[in-house]
Amino acid sequence: MNTAAYIARRLFYGLVLMFFVVVLNFVLIRLAPGDPAEVIAGEMGGITQEMLADIRATYGLDKPIATQLAIYLGQIARGDLGMSFFFDQPVAKLIGTRIGATILLVLAAQLVSILIGVVMGVFAARKPNGVVSALVAVFSTLGYALPVFWTGIMLIIVFASWLPIFPVEGMRSARFEGGSFAYVLDVLHHLVLPAVTLAIIFLAQYARLARASMIEVLGADYIRTARAKGVPERRVVFHHALRNAVLPILTVAGLQFGNLISGALLVETVFNWPGMGTLAFDSILRRDYPTVMGILIIGAAMVVVANILTDLGYRLADPRIRTEGGRR
Amino acid sequence: MSPLLDVRDLRVEFATRHGTVTALDGVSLRLEPGETLGVVGESGCGKSITALAIMGLIPMPPGRIAGGSIRLDGEELIGAPERRLRQLRGRDIGMIFQEPMTSLNPVFRVGDQIAEAILLHQDVSRDEARTRALELLRTVGVPDPGQRIDAYPHELSGGLRQRVMIAIAISCQPRLLIADEPTTALDVTVQAQIFDLIRDIQDRLGVAVILITHDMGAIAEMADRVAVMYAGRVVEEGPADAILDSPAHPYTRGLIGCIPAIDPALAALDRLPPLAEIPGVVPPLHLLGQGCAFADRCIEAVDICRKVAPPLTGRGHAVACHLHAAAAASEES
Ligand SMILES: Nc1ncnc2c1ncn2[C@@H]1O[C@H](COP(=O)(O)OP(=O)(O)O)[C@@H](O)[C@H]1O
Ligand code: SF4
Ligand SMILES: [Mg+2]
Repeated sequence: MNTAAYIARRLFYGLVLMFFVVVLNFVLIRLAPGDPAEVIAGEMGGITQEMLADIRATYGLDKPIATQLAIYLGQIARGDLGMSFFFDQPVAKLIGTRIGATILLVLAAQLVSILIGVVMGVFAARKPNGVVSALVAVFSTLGYALPVFWTGIMLIIVFASWLPIFPVEGMRSARFEGGSFAYVLDVLHHLVLPAVTLAIIFLAQYARLARASMIEVLGADYIRTARAKGVPERRVVFHHALRNAVLPILTVAGLQFGNLISGALLVETVFNWPGMGTLAFDSILRRDYPTVMGILIIGAAMVVVANILTDLGYRLADPRIRTEGGRR
Repeated sequence: MSPLLDVRDLRVEFATRHGTVTALDGVSLRLEPGETLGVVGESGCGKSITALAIMGLIPMPPGRIAGGSIRLDGEELIGAPERRLRQLRGRDIGMIFQEPMTSLNPVFRVGDQIAEAILLHQDVSRDEARTRALELLRTVGVPDPGQRIDAYPHELSGGLRQRVMIAIAISCQPRLLIADEPTTALDVTVQAQIFDLIRDIQDRLGVAVILITHDMGAIAEMADRVAVMYAGRVVEEGPADAILDSPAHPYTRGLIGCIPAIDPALAALDRLPPLAEIPGVVPPLHLLGQGCAFADRCIEAVDICRKVAPPLTGRGHAVACHLHAAAAASEES
């Protein structure tokens, strides 16, 4: 199948998926306890029944859920995420100011976990009974079992309080002065702890996968061929074996994007990272339905796009998929 | 003439679940420059391990070279530094494997895989290496080499992949070419072409060849000498004619002495059938006791066979069998 047709098919499935995301979450959110009208009214001060009814009418909350859903779907189809109950701003604009921070965090965490995971996996594979192998095994259990909140807070205590190397929270220094390069450094400095916190969850998994994949590849016939050519061992490992061993890691990396994005939403609240996660957290507390829905939809869209991009990357990395159809 | 390759008393052990097993038990082989040595024997007899030992590619662990000597042009390879072995591999010794489908790296273009061998051992530019790779593809009979040079392995048939493997193996004009069952995984018609190619290359380059195969027809056509292996030992060794015409060891006779029903597909191609079936199987290495390893399957076995392992005796045509030793002794007296 050619690449364009493939992307079209994946996009179509992505849209179907997002339709279900919208319907399911729309219903779930409205079934959850709490009345947005009361929250909105609370913000305005004294509450009367008329005011509540008024608010419900303004936001369409007085109609049956099915009607509300139909209206919402129609609106989404036109590319309109609606207005925030709380901010009196378009949801799209709210998300727009925060999506960059989330993408930065997700990509940084993905990069860190894959890079370090693969390096650990490769060393573990070279000595399946060595120290690194044991560490990978321990890490795999720990990294997966520890709650993100706990890891994040521990990192803050150690690397922001005891050893004040990194900032405690936020994405940029309060009174920042300097050029754009210094600005980038400032953001990166803030990025380290949240990215590492998020990376730790996935790191161990990549390490374990890389180890298994590498051990298998190192036993392949083509590795023996490389050695029979006189290829130095380092090149055997990092050129001939690694190129093949990363293929399953790419697949898993694509599948992990969903988990990574939901993990990022949690990490953001721990570090007060100004992304979609903190916005989601606040919006849920405020019963700001349109904003919560908008974040869920955009999050799902990010997962769909990330999966397609990973698949394209995989096609580049594995020639067997690029030219389907077998022998010439 | 001094031998190109001189393997003496080679012992290779493997650590397994059943304890240490001896995969090669005193294997000796000699090969003159330009000569072809055929190596035959059932699966698991140690043919590939012998080849890998010469390449210095026994996986260690679980493997271990427990003794013996491998000399290439007089230079001892056992215990030689890895750096030196790496120089020899691919440059002085080329090897072709049994599995063409999996022996090429699936993510690199075949031209690059050939050029890599050239770049490793010769002081040439990338462009020159590519030009050489193109010539090599032509030499090994890959049709349309200008296009195939940029193909990935999965785009080629098994026969073409094996030709690419051969191109890699001869890319630096080695003095020794080891072909470990180069045709076992291929279609019968392709098998003949690959053997023809190896012979053609040998004529052109004057390279010595160790040909491991089950194809007695190929042995008859190509081999100068033949070594018959059984359970990690050479049980008969000598000139190809002598071994094919008058095999002395009961095992060799079992393999080639009786050629019963001729497979019509092979007959049509004017080829001999592969090794004949001998009742029974090669004993697992960890169950080998003292005595002749073939004793349990040998119809001629006598008492001493189960107690004492027969040594390989005789010059020119050597045999490891008590009966043969007795016959030779009575002839001499
Ligand atoms: N990695 C290994 N671990 C344990 N035993 C091995 C290993 N490789 C080979 N052997 C043993 O060495 C023997 C010879 O194998 P091999 O040389 O591959 O046989 P063949 O003659 O079919 O090429 C086999 O019986 C096998 O049990
Ligand atoms: S030594 Fe004995 S058992 Fe072994 S091959 Fe000769 S006759 Fe048979
Ligand atoms: Mg073999």
